[in-house]
Amino acid sequence: MTTDLNILFQNYFSKEKNYDEALKSDLTVNPNWKKLLDNVSEMDIKTLTAKQNEIDWLMDENGVTYNVYNDPQGMQRSWDLNIIPFIIKANEWHTIEKGLQQRAELLNLIIKDIYGKRDLIKKGIIPPEVIFAHRGFLRQCDQIQYKTSKHLLIYSSDLARGPDGRMWVVNDRTQAPSGMGYALENRYSLNRVLPNLFKDINVKQSSGFFYDFNQMLIDAAPQNKENPSIVILTPGPLNETYFEHAYMASLLGYPLVNGNDLVVRNGKVYLKTLKELKQVDVIYRRVDDVFMDPLELREDSYLGVTGLLDVVRNKNISIINPVGSGVLENSGLIPFMNAICNHFFNEDLILPQIASWWCGQEKEREFVFKNIKNFVVKRIDRSNRESLFFCEFLDNNALETLKKDISANPYRYVAQEKITFSTAPDFVKDHLEARKVLCRTFVIAKKDQYQVMPGGLVRVAPERENLFVSNQRGGVSKDLWVLSNDQEDNIKHYAWDNTCKISISDINDLPSNTAENLFWSGRYLGRTLVTARYIRMILNRMSDEQYDSNTSSSESLVYLLHALTNITSTFPGFTGKNNEALLNNPLKEIISLLFDKNRLGSFAQALNSFNNSYYSLRNLWSKDMWRVFDSIKKLWTKFEQANVYTIPTVTKLLDRTITRLIAFMGLIEESILVQQGLLLYFIGLQTEQALMQISKFRSLMVFNYDERLQYDILEALLSSDESLNIYRYSYRSHLSLENVINLTLLDKEYPKSLTYRLKRIQKDIDRLPYTENIGNQSNCQKLIDLANAKISKLNIAELMILNSDESLRERLDAELTELSDLLHETSLSLSGTYFNHSYQQTQLINQNFPLS
Amino acid sequence: MVFQVSHTTSYDYESYVTFCHNIATLKPKTLCGQTLLDYKLEITPKPTEITERVDFFGNYITRFSLQKEHKTLKVTATSKVSRNFEAQPNIDDVPTAKNITLADALKALKSNDEAIIDARQYILESVLIAKISPEIKAYAEVSFKPNRSIFDAALELMQRIYTEFDFDPTFSNVATPIHEVFKAKKGVCQDFAQIAIACIRSVGLPARYISGYIETIPPPGKEKLIGTDASHAWFSLYIPGFGWVDFDPTNNQTPKNQHIIVAWGRDYYDVPPLKGVIYSTGSNKMHVAVDIRPFNEVK
Repeated sequence: MTTDLNILFQNYFSKEKNYDEALKSDLTVNPNWKKLLDNVSEMDIKTLTAKQNEIDWLMDENGVTYNVYNDPQGMQRSWDLNIIPFIIKANEWHTIEKGLQQRAELLNLIIKDIYGKRDLIKKGIIPPEVIFAHRGFLRQCDQIQYKTSKHLLIYSSDLARGPDGRMWVVNDRTQAPSGMGYALENRYSLNRVLPNLFKDINVKQSSGFFYDFNQMLIDAAPQNKENPSIVILTPGPLNETYFEHAYMASLLGYPLVNGNDLVVRNGKVYLKTLKELKQVDVIYRRVDDVFMDPLELREDSYLGVTGLLDVVRNKNISIINPVGSGVLENSGLIPFMNAICNHFFNEDLILPQIASWWCGQEKEREFVFKNIKNFVVKRIDRSNRESLFFCEFLDNNALETLKKDISANPYRYVAQEKITFSTAPDFVKDHLEARKVLCRTFVIAKKDQYQVMPGGLVRVAPERENLFVSNQRGGVSKDLWVLSNDQEDNIKHYAWDNTCKISISDINDLPSNTAENLFWSGRYLGRTLVTARYIRMILNRMSDEQYDSNTSSSESLVYLLHALTNITSTFPGFTGKNNEALLNNPLKEIISLLFDKNRLGSFAQALNSFNNSYYSLRNLWSKDMWRVFDSIKKLWTKFEQANVYTIPTVTKLLDRTITRLIAFMGLIEESILVQQGLLLYFIGLQTEQALMQISKFRSLMVFNYDERLQYDILEALLSSDESLNIYRYSYRSHLSLENVINLTLLDKEYPKSLTYRLKRIQKDIDRLPYTENIGNQSNCQKLIDLANAKISKLNIAELMILNSDESLRERLDAELTELSDLLHETSLSLSGTYFNHSYQQTQLINQNFPLS
Repeated sequence: MVFQVSHTTSYDYESYVTFCHNIATLKPKTLCGQTLLDYKLEITPKPTEITERVDFFGNYITRFSLQKEHKTLKVTATSKVSRNFEAQPNIDDVPTAKNITLADALKALKSNDEAIIDARQYILESVLIAKISPEIKAYAEVSFKPNRSIFDAALELMQRIYTEFDFDPTFSNVATPIHEVFKAKKGVCQDFAQIAIACIRSVGLPARYISGYIETIPPPGKEKLIGTDASHAWFSLYIPGFGWVDFDPTNNQTPKNQHIIVAWGRDYYDVPPLKGVIYSTGSNKMHVAVDIRPFNEVK
C-alpha cells in the first residue's frame, strides 16, 4: 500500500508559513527530497505510524535516554527520533564542510592567541572586554602550551537555514560538545527499523569519523605514547547526556570515570584501580571547564580532579578539549569574526552568522536600544533560556529592566537579529508537519587539518510555533543525511572495530569506583530478591489461611511477620509496642515495605539504590540486561498507576518481579567478565544474601516452638528461599529443625546454604588483587577466613541445645550473631581496602566563591 | 629601607589528612621601588613536590603537594625586601594626571593603547566584586564627579572609608560578600580595599586589589611583639597618563616605605596567600603569624 503525498502533507503548514526544506512555496516538492518522500509514500500511514512506534520502542529498549532535570516524566527520558530524516545534498554539504573547517581553524587560532600573545586584543581586532568579561576566560589557563598541533580538538556547531537559503551558524560549542553518540545511535536505529527509507539514496556514513576520533584521542597523548591510557570523564549519571558518555565509553572501549576516580600525584594523573594507581595520559572530558580542578577553578566542584591544571601545564596529561576552551562559546565574538577571519586568512567567513551587535560599543548599543523590539538579546557567556531575551515579546517594564541591566554591564550583552529559520517535515501522529530544525555538526582535528562528520544530529522544535530548539527542554531529534553523488557502502555495524581498542583487560585496572558500584549492585540486588521472596511467601500464607491474627492457626504468621521486620531492619514495624493494629491488618505495612521508596529497608528503596549503581555502570551492561531491568521498572510503574493493592495483585506482581530479577541476575553472570569486575558483584550479592539469611535464621530458628508451629515456620523458612523441594529431595522426611539447619546452614554442597555462601565469598575475595602495602593477606581475607573457620566447626548437636527454660537456643543465636558481625566487618574492610573513599575533598579555607 | 618579613600559616587538623594540594601567593614582587633580596619558603612536613610559576597578573605562585598522612601543616615564608618609594614615579610630578577629571579619564580609557587595554580589565566585574549595588555606586559618586580630579576623589574615598567604616576582625571572613560589609560598615583591610574597588569600578574606572604587608610601629617606648603583624591589603587606582596609584583605606594613607607588595589581582580571589584542597574527614584550625621589621633589628 502507498500513501498519497497530498494526504501526508495535509495541513502541513501552520498559519505562519516559513521557508521549508521539503515543500517549495508553490507546494511542489523540492527535488532533493523527492526520492526520500517517494520512499516514504511507498508505505501506508499505518506502516509509517507502526515504524515510528517501533523506533520509539527501540530507543526505549536500548535505553537511549536524555536526562531532563525536574521533568515530571522522571529523570531518564527516552530519546525521541523522528522517522523522517533531514537531508542536505552533496554540493551544499561541500560548502558547509569547507565553512566548518574554516570556522574550526579560526576558533583554534583565536583560542591560541587569547591564551597566548593576545595580539587580537592588542591590535584592536577584538575588544578586550569580549574576552576579559567572559566567564569562560580562565586566567589560570593563560600561556599553557599544548603538544597537539591544534589547541581546539573538537568543535561542534549548530546550523540552521537562514532566509537567504544558506546554512547559518547559530551556536558554537567548544568545551565538551555533546550529540555525537546520539547521532550515531540515530543512524543505527533508523537503518534497522526503516531500511526501505534509504532505497536508491546515497547517504554518507560516519563510521570512519569515529575511527578518526579514536585516533585523535591516541595522538593527543603526551610523549607520543603508542599505547596511551585514555579515560572518559563524566559528571555522572545525573548529567543530561550521561547515556552518551556511557555509549562513547563502550564504543571506544575506554573506562568511564568520575572525578574522584582520578588523582594527581607526583605531577601526573592517576586512575585509582583495584590494585594500584594507574597513570592516565588522555582525558576525553564531558565535564565543563570550571569544574575541572577544585584547586584552581570552582572550589566547590566534586566533578573534577584536584591539581589537574598543573599537570596540564607540565604536559603530563592531555585534556580534550583543553580546559579554558569555553571562552569560545561567546556570542560577543560574532560581530568580530569576519574581521578575525580576514586577519588570519585574508578571506571572508564562508558560513554566514546571525547579524549581531555587541553592546560594549557605544554606537552599537544606542542602535540596539533604539530598535530593541527587533532583537534577541543574549548574555555573551550564557546560552540558557534565562539569559536569552526575545524582545518582541517583552512588555515595556521588562524592556526597561533589560536596558538597565545592559547599561550596567554593557560588554556582557549582544543583540541579534531575529531570524526565521527553515522548517522541515516531521512525522506527527499520522501526517507530516513543518517544524523548525537545528543541525548540530561535529568537527575534529585530524593531524593539522579539521575533519567534519558527514552527518550530525538534528533537533526539532517541540511544537509547531516554537522558536526555541533544545533537547534540554525535551524535544525530538532527526537523523542528518548528507547525500553523496557516489555509491555509499551499506551502514557498517556500529560495534567498534577491536583492532585499536585498548580495553581494560585485567581486574587490576578496574577503576575502584566501578568496583564499588559493582559490589553495591550485588548487595542491592541480593536484598531485593530476598525481600521479594520472603514477602511473597507471607502473602501466599495469608491468602491460604484467610489470615486472622486472633485465630491460633495464624500464630505462625505472627512470627513470620516479626521476622519480616527483623530481616528488612524496618523497626519497629511488626515488632513495635503497639503492633496489634499492624498485625490485624498486615497488608498495609507489607505494602509500605514494598512500595515506599523513602523507607530504608523497603524493596522499593533497595531497587532504587540498585538503579543508581546500575546507571553509574551502564557502559558495562548489555542491551538484554537493560531490557529486562527496564521491564521490572515498568511493571512497578504500571502497578502503582493501577492502584489496586490486594493480596492476589501484589502476589502476582512479586511473581513476575522475581522471575525477572532472576533472569537479570543470570544475564549479569553471562554478560560481564570476571576481570571486568564480576567478582565484586558476586561478593556483594553473596554477602547480602548471607547477611539476610542469618537474620532470617535468628528470627525463626532460635525460639523453641511447639511441634505444629515449628513445622509451619520451617516450611515457611524453606519456601521463602525456594529450598523446600531440595529439602524434600535430600531428606524425604518430615520437616525437622535439625535437618533444616543441616541443609541451610551447614551443607557444604548446597549453593543456598550459609556454609556454601561463605566459602564462595572467601574464594572470590582471594582472587582480588593485592596491594603491596597490606602484607601477604589483606584484612578482609583474614576476616572471611575467620568466618569460614567458625562455620566449619559448628556442630549440629550443640546448635540444637536449648537454654535452661527451654525457650530458646542461645548457642545458635550467639554463633549466628558472630558470623553476622564477621561478615559486616569483612564488608567494611573490603570497602576500606579497595574502594577507599575514606578521604573527602575539602577546601583548606572555605572561601565560598561564586565563580561563574 | 630593608625589611625582613616572616609569614607563618599553620593548620591543625582534627583527623589525618591523607594528601593535599596547595597554592601559596606569598613571594613579594620586585618592582619599581621594591626589590626582593631574599626569599625562603619552608613547609613542614616536607612537600612531595613543589613548583613555582608566574601567573596571569605577574605574581609568583607556588604550588605544592603533600602526599603523606599528616595532622599539621606549617608554611613559613621569609622575605628580605628593600623598599624605596622615592624611586617610584610620583603623581605630584605629573600634574596633568593628578588633575585628570573623571570625564576626561573615561574618555582616555577608550584608547587602544596597550597599557590602557591592560588596565581596562580592572573595570570589569570580578569574582568577589560583582553585581555592584546602586548604594555602592551612590557612595562612590559622592566623591567621584565628572569634573573633579579622580586622584582627589580616590583620596577622599579612602578617607571616607577610613572614618565611616569600623575595623572589626570579628565581623567578616574571606567569604563575606562586599554588600554585607557595605551595609554593616565594618570589616578588615581586605573588605575596605574591596569596597573601594567596587566604588571605583562603579564609576567606570580601573581599580585593583593589592595584597601585601604593612610595618606597624609600636607605641613609643614599647618593644614590638613578634608575630602580631598581619597580612595587609589595599587598593590601587589606574590614572590615565600616569599609571597605578596605591591607597590604603585601613590606615588612611598613600603607601610609602611601610607597605610591601606581594601580589595584585582583581580582588582577593586572585591572590589568597594560601589555599588548597585537603583530603580528610575532620575540621581544621588555622593560625597565622606575621612579623615585619627593619632588617637591622632582626635578632
